[in-house]
Amino acid sequence: MKTIKQISIFLENQRGKLSDILTALKDQNIEIQAASVADTTEYGILRLITSDQVKAARLLSAKGNLVNLNEVLAIQVEPDTAAFADAVDALTNGGVSISYLYTFHKDGKLVLIIRPASLEIAERVAKEKGLTLIQGWE
Amino acid sequence: MNSKYWNEEIETMPRKKLEKLQVERLKKTVEIAMGSEFYAPRFKELGITPESIKSVQDIKRFPFTTKNDLRATYPFGIKSVPLDKVVRLHSSSGTTGNPTVILHTQKDLNEWADAMARSMYCIGLRNTDIIQNTSGYGMFTGGLGIQYAAERLGALTVPAGAGNSKRHVKFITDFGTTALHCIPSYATRLAAAFLEEGIDPRNTTVKTLIIGAEPHSEAQRKRIEEIWGAKAYNNFGMSEMCGPGVAIECQEQNGMHIWEDNYIVEILDPETLEPVPEGEQGELVLTTLNREAMPLFRYRTRDLTRILPGDCPCGRTHVRLARFQGRSDDMLIVKGVNLYPIQIEKILMQFPELASDYLITIETIGDNDEMTIEAELAQATDDFGMLQNLTKEITRRLKDELLFTPRVKLVGKGVIPQSDGKAKRVNDLRNNH
Ligand SMILES: [Zn+2]
Repeated sequence: MKTIKQISIFLENQRGKLSDILTALKDQNIEIQAASVADTTEYGILRLITSDQVKAARLLSAKGNLVNLNEVLAIQVEPDTAAFADAVDALTNGGVSISYLYTFHKDGKLVLIIRPASLEIAERVAKEKGLTLIQGWE
Repeated sequence: MNSKYWNEEIETMPRKKLEKLQVERLKKTVEIAMGSEFYAPRFKELGITPESIKSVQDIKRFPFTTKNDLRATYPFGIKSVPLDKVVRLHSSSGTTGNPTVILHTQKDLNEWADAMARSMYCIGLRNTDIIQNTSGYGMFTGGLGIQYAAERLGALTVPAGAGNSKRHVKFITDFGTTALHCIPSYATRLAAAFLEEGIDPRNTTVKTLIIGAEPHSEAQRKRIEEIWGAKAYNNFGMSEMCGPGVAIECQEQNGMHIWEDNYIVEILDPETLEPVPEGEQGELVLTTLNREAMPLFRYRTRDLTRILPGDCPCGRTHVRLARFQGRSDDMLIVKGVNLYPIQIEKILMQFPELASDYLITIETIGDNDEMTIEAELAQATDDFGMLQNLTKEITRRLKDELLFTPRVKLVGKGVIPQSDGKAKRVNDLRNNH
């Protein structure tokens, strides 16, 4: 499958938790490429794409965090709103339901990180619509 | 030694004979306690003498002893022998008021070691075992009490002591430890330490865990057995009675045999102090029969339990105590409902998504008691829906048990404060507490 690994970390509204996580990554020279914090009134989840997901996950877990590694789609488009909109349209018209999405810029392109309800369907639709799926960066 | 029993004669003694032994030892204990400034005047007033004791039923004539009596007579007020015969002192941490002090003669220490060695033998430990003790070696009896007993058993004993999980992991791995003594909450914490080192605790040499000193549910035991791939046996002791070695589950894992050659067991209604009907729950009240430095009569343990009916298939005749349902002084009254923390634990342990730590906080908000239960998640998730459904389902099942709705909050690792001692389960912040 053409997917990438994403780290999800369970956050409580605890003071200094986020900065502890960032410091731990910095100390190990792990670069963060994208981050997203989502929360409800009760719970927070920090989602990360880093330069070394397996190392980052192991490190954060050893530091006492609840860490989950899962698969998401990374789609690369031109860095403008029109391309962003086209990609989202292509997916939703193809029947993909998106649970959440966040973006970041990389090498002059826009990268969409997408967690769909079904990875298989999303991957198939993305390929059919000619979208560029990324499996990782060197 | 190839026998099933450490001391077959005592452990399988017919009840009639066992009661005769108890009467004999009670007489002897009264004789010793005549030397106690605390008991002598009380016995005189009640007409209690060794000769006046005819049957175990005579225990009803004795006065009760409470923890407050121990505090009020701190440090040596209850002792029955001169201090030159006393060789050891153990003490409880006194969070409120004076600590309690328990004294031992050399004979007391020998009997204690023997009783705990018998308990270890009872769960299948032998002199070929390597027993690692995770209890603190100090005033707490879980350190030295286990040490001397394991040595008496003839096992190689590792006095690793409390805390420092990394060191425990190393010792277990290097020495091939086959049995661990620990409190239940530490059993799960130590398992987590193995997992962090990339070692599955089920692949270690540990085959037996002696767990005690903290009330725990059957579900928590099952969970400990599962993560360790080992047998976990509930062990009961209290420093007032000696320390660990008062009662233990046999390999049937159905109730703890309390060593009745050493104690007279009563189960009383904590309000009326009358015996509860046979087999019903009440407060465990114990009289020591084999101690001399500081015998205690009708000591109110505050632990709530019941005696299991019927004979145990293991052949031991000493009665079995059911898993403790908490302590009479642990009982909480929240929104007019009487409840024990262990009821909440039982529900939480049914959820594989949760780890073992939890904290119950009770606060006064407006004019009402509000309960919040923080439960530690076992695994992270990327799914808010799962978190919300899980919270809802836990809340629903707790409501069925408690008859009111607590607030449930899932938390990550390390949020619930941990200490090397017993796990703190209740944080009562109500104005009147
Ligand atoms: Zn038995």
